[in-house]
Amino acid sequence: MNAGLEQRPPARTHVMDPIERTVRWILLCGIAVSVALMAAGLVLGVARGAALPRGVVPLAEIPRGLAALRPAAYLSLGLIVLIGTPFVRVAGSLVVFVRARDRRYVLVTASVLLVMCVSVLLGRA
Amino acid sequence: MAVAVVAGVFGSMLGVGGGIVMVPMLSLAFGAPIKVAIATSIVCVIATSSMAQTTFVSRGMTNIRLGMLLEVATCVGAVAGGVTAVLIDGRVLQFCFAAVLVYVAWQMNRRGGDVAPVRTGALEACYYDPAVGHDVEYGVRRTRLGFVLSLGAGNVSGLLGVGGGAFKVPIMNLLMGVPFKAAIATSNLMIGITAATGATIFYGRGYMDPHYAVPAALGILAGARLGPRLAVRLSARVLGIIFQVVLLVFAVLMVVTGLGQ
Repeated sequence: MNAGLEQRPPARTHVMDPIERTVRWILLCGIAVSVALMAAGLVLGVARGAALPRGVVPLAEIPRGLAALRPAAYLSLGLIVLIGTPFVRVAGSLVVFVRARDRRYVLVTASVLLVMCVSVLLGRA
Repeated sequence: MAVAVVAGVFGSMLGVGGGIVMVPMLSLAFGAPIKVAIATSIVCVIATSSMAQTTFVSRGMTNIRLGMLLEVATCVGAVAGGVTAVLIDGRVLQFCFAAVLVYVAWQMNRRGGDVAPVRTGALEACYYDPAVGHDVEYGVRRTRLGFVLSLGAGNVSGLLGVGGGAFKVPIMNLLMGVPFKAAIATSNLMIGITAATGATIFYGRGYMDPHYAVPAALGILAGARLGPRLAVRLSARVLGIIFQVVLLVFAVLMVVTGLGQ
């Protein structure tokens, strides 16, 4: 598939602005950490001859599960990191907008983060 | 997992989450309980978005400011979804949703090619499009109308749990004058944010099942590396045609789900 596409001229590099750099960096870290945790969970599961667990571990019990090398704890934390990455990404772009003194988008991004948190809280009830 | 790879390629290429396909697939073909299927599909959307954005952002294709602005409307709309649920019957809504999808596909088809980028002074951005071989500079039009419609789209998707990207891309492209590729990339950014909120709630309620979610997430992450690369290189016209076909498939699935209830 790539053979045909490589006939085209090579892509020019886009110069990323601070927010693009920040967002990309956060995403790459989030993905790397979550994949590493899920891979660790899978390896531990295979090592112990256990099937994939059918439920996630509640947040409070994860540290103990990690210490006990329980696959479910690693898989759960991997999923939590994956789910948490967009939150961190929004928070990261908020920081960049604050630094750039871009008032309008500080307000916009803060509202997004606020609504995210509020709906999570509402959903728990 | 192979299914997840394919879903990752298509979802990340078109800026849609694909929950409308993933949920019935997981529950019918893989026997996942419906709530677990939804939770897994939401995790897939996050994985698609996070992975695809690493490419889209580095190419300057994502209009982050526009995304955040419309996301305010989408989030508020989604939260208000519960209010609408009381007012309108779910099945009526599903049929309306399907009708709108068909209408959007028809409009996109009638338009033929991509919108001509115009500089408007609002939320301007620029990216290099290898398919046309030069930089595309554009501004955003009708920001207010787009905001209001995103509110509605968020509301409906909050209600049905699907349909984020399928509406966001056409709203940005057809109404706001955002070039198709930038609309895809920006929609992809937004669906990740909406999905993360939903996923947190599903996790807290214990519907997350690693048995489905972990293989699906890993598959999607692999697939979503390829999708954006295709989106960057293919011409907007070809992408548009694929998008229209996907909209029609979504519409059919929506009607089938509606009838099945």
